[in-house]
Amino acid sequence: MDVLIVKGLKKVFGEGELAVTALADIDFSVKKGELMALLGPSGSGKTTLLLCISLILEPTTGYIVINGHEIYKDGWTDVDMRRFRRENIGFIFQSHNLIPFLTATDNVALVMTLNGVSDREARRRSHELLDYLEIGHRADALPALLSGGEQQRVAIARALANEPVLILADEPTAALDTDRGRKVMALLKKIAGERNSAVITVTHDHRMIEGFDTVCELSDGRFVKKPL
Amino acid sequence: MDLAAKDVRRHLGKFIATIIGVGMLINIVFIMNGIYRGIIDDGIWIIENTDTDLWVVERDRGGPFNEQSQLPRDTYKSVAATPGVAKTGPFITYTVQRGVAGRNQQFTIIGYDVFIGLGGPKRIVAGRNITAGHYEAVADQKLGVRLGERIHLGVHDYTIVGLTRQAVDTNGNPLLYLSLSDAQEVLFQRDNQAIYAQDAATIKKLQDAGYTATQAGQMLPLFSSNTNIISAVLAKLTPGADIKKVRSNIQDWLYLNVYSPEEEIQLMLSGRLKKISITLGFFRILLVIVSIVIIALIVYVITIEKIRSIATLKLIGASNWVIIRLILEQSVSITLASFGFGYGASHLLEASGQFPRHLIFTTFDTTLVFIIMLVGGVVASLLAIWVALRTPPSLALGG
Ligand SMILES: Nc1ncnc2c1ncn2[C@@H]1O[C@H](COP(=O)(O)OP(=O)(O)OP(=O)(O)O)[C@@H](O)[C@H]1O
Ligand SMILES: [Mg+2]
Repeated sequence: MDVLIVKGLKKVFGEGELAVTALADIDFSVKKGELMALLGPSGSGKTTLLLCISLILEPTTGYIVINGHEIYKDGWTDVDMRRFRRENIGFIFQSHNLIPFLTATDNVALVMTLNGVSDREARRRSHELLDYLEIGHRADALPALLSGGEQQRVAIARALANEPVLILADEPTAALDTDRGRKVMALLKKIAGERNSAVITVTHDHRMIEGFDTVCELSDGRFVKKPL
Repeated sequence: MDLAAKDVRRHLGKFIATIIGVGMLINIVFIMNGIYRGIIDDGIWIIENTDTDLWVVERDRGGPFNEQSQLPRDTYKSVAATPGVAKTGPFITYTVQRGVAGRNQQFTIIGYDVFIGLGGPKRIVAGRNITAGHYEAVADQKLGVRLGERIHLGVHDYTIVGLTRQAVDTNGNPLLYLSLSDAQEVLFQRDNQAIYAQDAATIKKLQDAGYTATQAGQMLPLFSSNTNIISAVLAKLTPGADIKKVRSNIQDWLYLNVYSPEEEIQLMLSGRLKKISITLGFFRILLVIVSIVIIALIVYVITIEKIRSIATLKLIGASNWVIIRLILEQSVSITLASFGFGYGASHLLEASGQFPRHLIFTTFDTTLVFIIMLVGGVVASLLAIWVALRTPPSLALGG
């Protein structure tokens, strides 16, 4: 079953002479449990593509279907999109974006409570998740006291918190050294395998992508290496 | 999850410092209000606490408090003869600076006819009223004298037979009550040094006007002033007397000015108390504005500090309500806690008695400051909320 279908996607920033076509003719789909890598040079449109999929940036044309729902449909309000995002998509970003005044556990638990899980239950489950990502011993630390790799693992735990069907990661290893980067990638593989979420991860680094189900490459907003 | 509380707990020091800072400001607002009310209250205390229906003063004068007024002592007898007047008493008031209770202090002497009783002290908290025609005094506690103590004024000693609380003149200085003739004596009977100085000044003036020293010396007695004068006559009316008629009788036949207690108060409020109340009113408004601006700035700054967290919250799908609650809860609690601090600090200061002025806190002022601060805090948070809700979630992705 396809978790994500993207058809005829085009994104143009600005108008007239200043118009920048960031994405054009993007077609692809991702299955449950699939691990996809998105490669491409700087400015090729990788982040733009993830933002379009995340309901943050509305495409100029084309449509996107996630888990059977067409997003950006007419009549979808900001509130609908936020709810959809929090129920279906998990994010991992280059900068970890943890909330600085919340502990590791609270950062993860927050996402669950936003979905109506009780505080107690949320804390219990986030401890589990942090253990799963081997960061359970740092559960009560504030983000500022965690190393880059530890922060990224907390961010991954947060992305997993609502058991999303789709996990989007924008250069999750960029702030990490090669060793830690590999570990994070290994974690993403493990998640795709064990939790049955589809994972799309952007990376600059070709060495990181071994073992991925699909590898696509963007250049100037178009796929140069189409997904199979 | 209570995000606001978690943030406060992480940055407790910063929040406490903020609350103390803003609280101090609000404390000053309260004190300013207290001073304002205190000055007005002191300014009219003596009028409100003198037992009379009418104040009869020198013609064309707004006396005896807003302006100097001088009448011959016997005026009180002529006023008493006016139809509708039941009883009158002479009244004299003047401010002196003398050494009392070991320090040189300013206070106001009130002289009244102790046998008639009009104009005498109210609210005696210890001891008794003056009963003898001479050498007894009732003093306010603020003077620092004790019951039974003898104080030296002019050429005589006076025994303190009673104490009052918060009996003050229009400037907030304590009152000292004496019998009329004692008061006149303290006012006019100078010691030799003072008489000598006065005479020397008079002779100098006469010499400047062209008289020889001998001529000036001979003319000196002509210049000695009449000392049997009073400031006002207090008049009580007979029951059912037509106050208008009594007034016009006194005004037209005795050529004096007559004021009801309300008019005396009005004279003070539109006269001596006007400038100070406008000045203080100005400061009160400025202070309130400054406090609101500071609260607004703080609320805005603590929101902007969290703008990335707010973007992240949006990114992970938090509803606007979560964000609004975060901002509103913090700004309202900062405002409330600062208000509480300011309220507590100003009332402690007042209770400690260390503040040199009479402070009066009214529920009206407290409520008004509370409402203004709360509205200011909420408006500032609305501004912050507006900024927060406009923050794009993609801000959380940057660098
Ligand atoms: N908000 C925007 N307004 C205008 N142009 C934009 C905007 N966001 C992105 N672009 C442009 O779109 C193109 C694709 O940008 P994008 O951020 O998707 O690249 P990227 O592949 O993620 O690059 P990098 O590897 O540096 O992160 C770039 O030319 C960029 O300048
Ligand atoms: Mg990018």
